[in-house]
This record gives sequence, structure tokens and C-alpha cells, in this order.
Amino acid sequence: MNKNRFIPITLLTFSVLAGCSSLPPNNSLLDEARNNYNNAQARSEVSQLAPLELKEAGESLDKATQAWNKREDNDLINHLAYVAKQKVAIAEETAKQKAAELAVTNSNVERDRVRLEARTREADTAQRSAEVSQREAEEAKRLAEASQRDAEEAKRLAEASQHESQEAKSAAETAQREAATEKQAASEADLSAQAALQQAQEAENRARQLEAELKDVELQLKDMEAKKTDRGMVITLGDVVFDTNKAQLKSGGMRNVQKLADFLKQHPERKVLIEGFTDSRGSEDYNQQLSEKRAEAVRTALINMGVEAERVSAIGYGESFPVADNGNPAGRQLNRRVEVVVSDNTGNISPRTGG
Amino acid sequence: MNRFYQWYRTGGVASCAALLMVGCASMPAPSEQMAVSKATINSAVSAGGNEFASIEMRAAQEKMDRANRALEKEDYENARLLAEQAQVDARLAEKKAQSAKAQKAAEVIQNDIRILREEINRKTP
Repeated sequence: MNKNRFIPITLLTFSVLAGCSSLPPNNSLLDEARNNYNNAQARSEVSQLAPLELKEAGESLDKATQAWNKREDNDLINHLAYVAKQKVAIAEETAKQKAAELAVTNSNVERDRVRLEARTREADTAQRSAEVSQREAEEAKRLAEASQRDAEEAKRLAEASQHESQEAKSAAETAQREAATEKQAASEADLSAQAALQQAQEAENRARQLEAELKDVELQLKDMEAKKTDRGMVITLGDVVFDTNKAQLKSGGMRNVQKLADFLKQHPERKVLIEGFTDSRGSEDYNQQLSEKRAEAVRTALINMGVEAERVSAIGYGESFPVADNGNPAGRQLNRRVEVVVSDNTGNISPRTGG
Repeated sequence: MNRFYQWYRTGGVASCAALLMVGCASMPAPSEQMAVSKATINSAVSAGGNEFASIEMRAAQEKMDRANRALEKEDYENARLLAEQAQVDARLAEKKAQSAKAQKAAEVIQNDIRILREEINRKTP
């Protein structure tokens, strides 16, 4: 052992003596630098991401090692070793920086991808919600259309019923108008019926009155010895009223004429025709004139008694229209006469026919 | 051994001084390295090194100060070495800040994604 221990010392001594041909003494700083360098080189991260810096560090380490091999000044070796060690650290730090920068780049890519994913999801969500909204909108539209259809149907029905009600209304109005018209007509008919009734009553009354009057007339004419003939009532004034061949009324005949005048005053609707007749004695012209004069005399007497002239007519018929045989005096006396024809209550007198 | 190197260095310095004396600048002032380191530190500060890698930043700035002092003493070799270390320290600080920021961004996005997923799951039951 002791022998062996002396061998390196002997060798060292030899080498020192041989003029530094043997290994120089250890430099801890240089060892540390080399160790760091080897570690860094072993790490793929550093060798890949910082190759230039690692190479620079290697060169510095070589320089330091050379200086150490040349047994240069220890301070110089320490200096070179320090520089190499720091350059290894720089290479490592550079690798870290590059890795971080790569991470940033990758992360940027990843962040963009995540953002894209997020946006895609948002877009998907938005599209889904849009689809949902669209479906809802379509549903709402369908409902709205259905509602509109319902409303239109209701409107049509309302219009139809309105139309019907209008028709009914107009029919009702027409019926009402007709009813009113009928009512008016009925009331008018009622009125006219009442009027007719009234007229009928009036007519009846008048008829009754006329009847009464006629009875009265008949009574009065009877009193004047009037006779009912086809032409109406005829009053015959006998020859006693006149003197022979005279047209002057006797005083006794005046009473009969007075009665006639009174009758005519009471009945202003009646007219009289005074007809004069003679017997067959004497000339025809004379008899004609005489008959006219006598008829005229009665007329004048009636007018003097207050009867209106237009109501009294006079005519002479001469020997015509004998009522008895002119061959004996009694018959001739009957033929000498004045007949007064009384009109009906409208003033008409039937003319004498035949001759 | 140290003594050997000491001697070696002293010899180097002596030879350098000798070279300087003959008018040839064998060890010039590391002005370029100083400028590069200074710019690297500024860049690291801008990247948020003080916030995300305060130890490295402090180390870088302290070494830069020492480099400046060495430069003032015309100890150019030391100044160059210190400046170099300050540069790598600053670079590390800047990288740490950048990687921390990137990791934070990644976390934010992962969180965003998680929230998004939760929202999606909430929205789509």
C-alpha cells in the first residue's frame, strides 16, 4: 500500500521535473464547467434549441482546457473556465427561452383553436337557437294564419248574418211600411166607411125628410085637389076661376092660386107649368089666345104673390087636349080649364106628348 | 508551483514592459472589449436583468467596475478578463430575463386557454 501510494507522487514529481509533460493539477471550476457542459449537451432540449450557444460554450471550454493542459496561469484557467461555465448557463437559459417561446407559439395556436372551438360551439348554439326560433316563428306563423282564417271565416259568417239581418230588417221595414200603409188604408177605409155611413145616414135622413116633404106635398096638393098623373101632380083650376071669355081671375079662384103660391114658397125646389085650355066654341085662334091669356094670368098672379118668375112657365093649348065631350055644356065646362103641372123635387116637368 | 507561475507572469509583464518601451504595443488597452461589455450590460438592464437576474447583474456591474479600475491602473490584462466576465454575466442576466419573460408569457397564455376552456365548459352544459 505504502509503495503504491508513492507511485503517483513519484510520477508527479517526475512529470514536474520533466518540464510539465504530465497532467496539470485539477481545477475545480474547470471541472464544474465541463460537468455542466456535458449535462447540457445530454439534454436534447438544449442541444436542439440552443445549438449555437452550446457550441460557443464548448469552444470556451476547449480554450480553458487547452490553457489547463498548457498549465497556464491559474487565474487565466479560472477565468476561461468561468466564461465557459457562464456560456453553458447562457445556452441553457437560451434553450429555456426558446422552449417558452415555442410554448407561447404553440399556446397561441392552441388558444386560437380553443377560441375557434368556442366560436364554433357558440355558432352551433346560435344556429340551434336560431333553428328553434325559426321553428317557433313558423309555428307562430301557422297559428297566426289559422287565426286569420278563423277570423275571416267569422267575418264571412258575420257578414252573412249581417246580410241576413239586413234582409230581415229590410223585409221587416217593408212589412212595417206595408202594415202602416194597410193601417192607413184601413183607417182611410174606416174613415171613408164612416164618411159613407154618415153620407148614408145623411142620405137616409134626406130621404126621410124628402119622404116627409113628399107626404107633406101630397097632402097639400090633395088639399088643392091635385091628381097624380104620369107627368106628376096636376092641379086643375076649373072655369069657375074665370068669367066667360075673360082672362081675369075671379076672387074665388084667387084662393086656390094663393094656396099654390104658398106651396111653392115652402118648396123652392119645385117648379110649375101652367097650361091653358078652352072648349071648342069660337075660332081656334081666339081660343088659342084665350088659353094663353088665362095661363099667363095665373102665372102673373103667382109672381105677384112672391113666386120667382123663372120657376113659373105658361103655355096655351087652345081647344087641344079636351078632357070631356064638347057636344054638351057640362062637357064644355070641364074642357074650359087651367092645369098646373107640379115638377118633381128636382124641378123637372115631363113635357105633354101627343096632341 | 505558484512561485513558478508568478515568475512566469512577472517575466511576461516584464517582457511586455520591455516591448512597450521599445514602442511596440504588445498588450493594448482593451477598449473594444470594454465597450462591448458596457453595451451588453446596458442591453441586459433594458431586458430587465435587474429584476429577473439580480445576482448576475450585480456580478456583471461589479466586475465592470473592477475592470474600469484596472484600466485606470493600466492593468489591461486584468481589465480585459474582468470585462469579459462582466460580458458573459450580463449576457446570462439578459438571457435569464428573456427566458423568464417568455415563460411568463407562456404561463399567461396557458392560463388564458384554461379560462377559455372553463368558459366553454360552463357555456355548454
